[in-house]
Amino acid sequence: MTESEEKKPAKIVLRELQDRIAQDAWDAKRRGEKVGWCASNFPQEITTAMGIPVVYPENMGAAVGAKGGGQRMCEHAEGMGYSNDLCSYSRINFAYTDLKRCEELEIPFPDFLLCCNNICNCMIKWYENLALALDVPLILIDIPHLDAVTCDADRVKYIRAQFDDCIAQLEAITGKKMDYDRLKEVMDVSQRSSRAWLRAVGYMSAEPSPFSGFDIFNNMAVACVGRGTVEAAEAFEQLADEYEALAKDGKSTFKGEEKYRILFEGIACWSNLKFTYKTLQSRGINLTASIYGPAFSFLYGSLDELMAAYSYVPNSNCFERELQLRVDDAIRNKVDGAIFHMNRSCKHWSGNLYEMERQFREKTGVPTVAFDGDQSDPRCFSEAQYETRIDALVELMEENKRKEGGA
Amino acid sequence: MSTIRELLDELQRVSGNPRAQLDAALEQGKKAVGVLPYFCPEELVYAAGMRPFGLWGAEMQANESKRYYPAFICSLLHTALELGLRGALNGLSAIMVPICCDSLKGFGANWKYGVGETIPVIDVAWAENRKIAAGAEFTRSQFRKVLGRLEEIAGRRVSDADITAAVAVYNENRKALRAFSAAAAKHPETVSPADRCAAIKAGYFMDRAEHTKKIASLTEALNALPEQPWKGLRVVTTGILADSPALLQILADNHIAIAGDQIAQESAFFRTETPVTADPVLGMAQRLGLVEGCSVLFDPGKQRGRELVQMAKDAKADGILWVMTKFCDPEEYDYVPVKRMADAAGIPLLAVEVDQQMVNYEQARSAVEAFAEVLRSD
Amino acid sequence: MAEALTLGIDVGSTTSKCVILRDGTELLASSLIPAGTGTSGPGRALAAALEEAGVQRGQLAAVTATGYGRNSFDGADFVVSELSCHAAGAAALMPGVRTVVDIGGQDAKVLHVNPAGKLERFLMNDKCAAGTGRFLEVMARVLELDVSELAEMDEKATGNVTISSTCTVFAESEVISQLAKNVDLHDLVAGIHASVAVRAAGLMRRLGITEPVGMTGGVARNAGVVRALEKELGVCIAVSPLSQLAGAYGAAVYGWNKTRRDPN
Repeated sequence: MTESEEKKPAKIVLRELQDRIAQDAWDAKRRGEKVGWCASNFPQEITTAMGIPVVYPENMGAAVGAKGGGQRMCEHAEGMGYSNDLCSYSRINFAYTDLKRCEELEIPFPDFLLCCNNICNCMIKWYENLALALDVPLILIDIPHLDAVTCDADRVKYIRAQFDDCIAQLEAITGKKMDYDRLKEVMDVSQRSSRAWLRAVGYMSAEPSPFSGFDIFNNMAVACVGRGTVEAAEAFEQLADEYEALAKDGKSTFKGEEKYRILFEGIACWSNLKFTYKTLQSRGINLTASIYGPAFSFLYGSLDELMAAYSYVPNSNCFERELQLRVDDAIRNKVDGAIFHMNRSCKHWSGNLYEMERQFREKTGVPTVAFDGDQSDPRCFSEAQYETRIDALVELMEENKRKEGGA
Repeated sequence: MSTIRELLDELQRVSGNPRAQLDAALEQGKKAVGVLPYFCPEELVYAAGMRPFGLWGAEMQANESKRYYPAFICSLLHTALELGLRGALNGLSAIMVPICCDSLKGFGANWKYGVGETIPVIDVAWAENRKIAAGAEFTRSQFRKVLGRLEEIAGRRVSDADITAAVAVYNENRKALRAFSAAAAKHPETVSPADRCAAIKAGYFMDRAEHTKKIASLTEALNALPEQPWKGLRVVTTGILADSPALLQILADNHIAIAGDQIAQESAFFRTETPVTADPVLGMAQRLGLVEGCSVLFDPGKQRGRELVQMAKDAKADGILWVMTKFCDPEEYDYVPVKRMADAAGIPLLAVEVDQQMVNYEQARSAVEAFAEVLRSD
Repeated sequence: MAEALTLGIDVGSTTSKCVILRDGTELLASSLIPAGTGTSGPGRALAAALEEAGVQRGQLAAVTATGYGRNSFDGADFVVSELSCHAAGAAALMPGVRTVVDIGGQDAKVLHVNPAGKLERFLMNDKCAAGTGRFLEVMARVLELDVSELAEMDEKATGNVTISSTCTVFAESEVISQLAKNVDLHDLVAGIHASVAVRAAGLMRRLGITEPVGMTGGVARNAGVVRALEKELGVCIAVSPLSQLAGAYGAAVYGWNKTRRDPN
């Protein structure tokens, strides 16, 4: 690349990288290589180091939701007998498994399944059903919910045993062997990516934030599927540099004036992304704090620390640790308010949300509102409800600003 | 016959008023520890000289609990939390809370901030990868951790001998319940669905060894009865809870007998014994690797479905009744493949939704009646 | 043999319906009272049907009760679930029908009927008002229409308004938002009908659809919903003028079959 060539913005680099990773999986499948379906927070170090292509059904669920196919696919799954109470990512995936096509996005069918329940136990039930329906082997790395602030030695030992067992099973399934030097390399690159990602999202603390916070939802896809690659590390470093430059000049990619800064708690409403975003943006509200910052940065040194890192996935830990993450983030990033998404699909995230909202409010002193929505099922979201609640939040934040101004 | 009826009535009284059992234990100077489903190591509570007290929610409206849990969480947890919030479980020294489903994962914090630290939470983790040695080892380590908490609460050391003895008590109880289930299946004219449920459920509230005695007497008396032809229908049940009085009455009204069950509250407890091992806690951990047919235990081959179909065939049941706990994700995921297995085997299956907050069971009544009509015409 | 008169009464939550048949096939009388279980409705429905047929209760060979309030109806010779009765009623009114969808005031059911007209399998809806007659009542009220006017409104629809929510409360606010945007009322009604159709179709797909398909229950009188359901599923849906009485009709047929076999 010559100096006169314009460098693509990091956002584009990341999108193209995401597309390339998806295409690689298709190409591998067509070459006759074994491809897997993988849980979003499964230790990707294993598959990256072994050069085993995997794709992520949860990401497909998000993408299909965002492209407007959520309702159709969920309805098909319900026609198969799946309750509409179940996670919409899984319903979309069950529909895809049955229909074998999806106009919004398709992923190659798997030769094996890699499941990890650090984000929730529904993953286990979902993948059990897939194993049966697709008649492929299922490898589970069980990461038990952490009831304490730190991951103890017994847990690390158990996770490590499954990690090693997984490698052995994958070697047998794919014929590829694990090179532990390569694994060390991948671990180092993953650290580089994680740090770069953290640095990038860290710029949200600048006033104004140099970017529209909803961009996290798009950019994080690569943090999920590609953080073990040098390309991803470089792309995140570029992203962080871009944000740094904008922040230095007090500029931002956020459209309009950043009047209010909020923490957005929960998964994005993929099926209603434009509306949920526009409602905020048109009122000058920018997302400047989200758990998805730390969520995709797994920081560790040794292999044992890697095991522990995967048990620190947000929502996999005790309430106090989870709350502190949000509070620290909100205070560091100077939010004026917070929006809590009560996601109908996710009992795990919703189970303590009311108490978390209360204690968050107490500890930060900022006003909060909650709204009902869903990650990929648009039928569980009401535009009128969302707008009303955001307007109420604005009134509260405005009132606070007035008071501060007057003092 | 009167002995049987007296025993059944007594067990009905026990399971109909768990609080009375808790009070009786407390009056005896015993401490009690609440046990939330499923598979918590309650033998350890017993070994520590305390009363394990089953927490299965209750038939009631939950209002306070909705400050903590959203409406789309199952009633078992809503009502269990509600009981705590209302002070109805005061007297318990602690509660054991497992983490085997997403809704349970939030229970500990909701209890802690809602009910408070007077009844502290003991988190119970175990290995879902339950068939590998590392899994059993992890479960063993977690159960040992729980034991440490129980020793603090009981104010005494618990030896391996104490645990081995407790395991023996529980295995005896399980054996007795298996024999009872078989005897009850032979005498539906004497043991109604509600009787059967109460007899099993009572064990969660009263002293286990005492429960074994009652169950054994009951079984002996039932087996002495001459077998009578049953003109009604026979089903096997599956699900988490099948203890709704309204539903059990609907079954009785329609002359539907329970020939066997794959219910978490019922045979999931008694169909598998704890292996006797040198380290008794390891045996308890290994038991989790042996239990099949429960939706909260990792089941990649969907053994649950195969076992259910086999149970129905062995019991010569007319059909399967899935008592579907509303908002239960594990059950809802299992429903599709297991139903397919039942269909492939030609066994009629009816799913009826239950909810402990539900007052009106008319829809369930219509569904059960129609199911019975269909089964009878076959 | 003397002709046998049998009566079927369907005591619902909001309506009571009665049918008298001669020899299990000839319709002698019918009644529909907009008052259900626990009211004077059942008694009045019974009286009205007897009067129309010009017979006394004692002349009936059998009285069969079905519906939500069947167990509290006095003096029934037989009590049968509304699922079996709707199956029998649909089989009699729409001969050859294999899949029956019944959208009532409070719930929705899908029935599989075998070639002999007997109930084989069934599925009932979730405990939710969305997709039932109650949903249509709520929406009609928001639009300041009578439920009976909905089908006509739908006929003049030209555009597409989607009401997507699964929750009646959310759907209500969706409808209100659409009204605020001054969307065409005809299109809005069509959207509401489509919403009911999508719910019913979902239930039907879960059980599986074998043609021919027929519809029973009060909502069958709403041609807009029937059309929307046909469009959603891509199948023809048969409707009888007596669809709302299918439960009572089936109950009367049931009584006829029972007395024919055992005239005592």
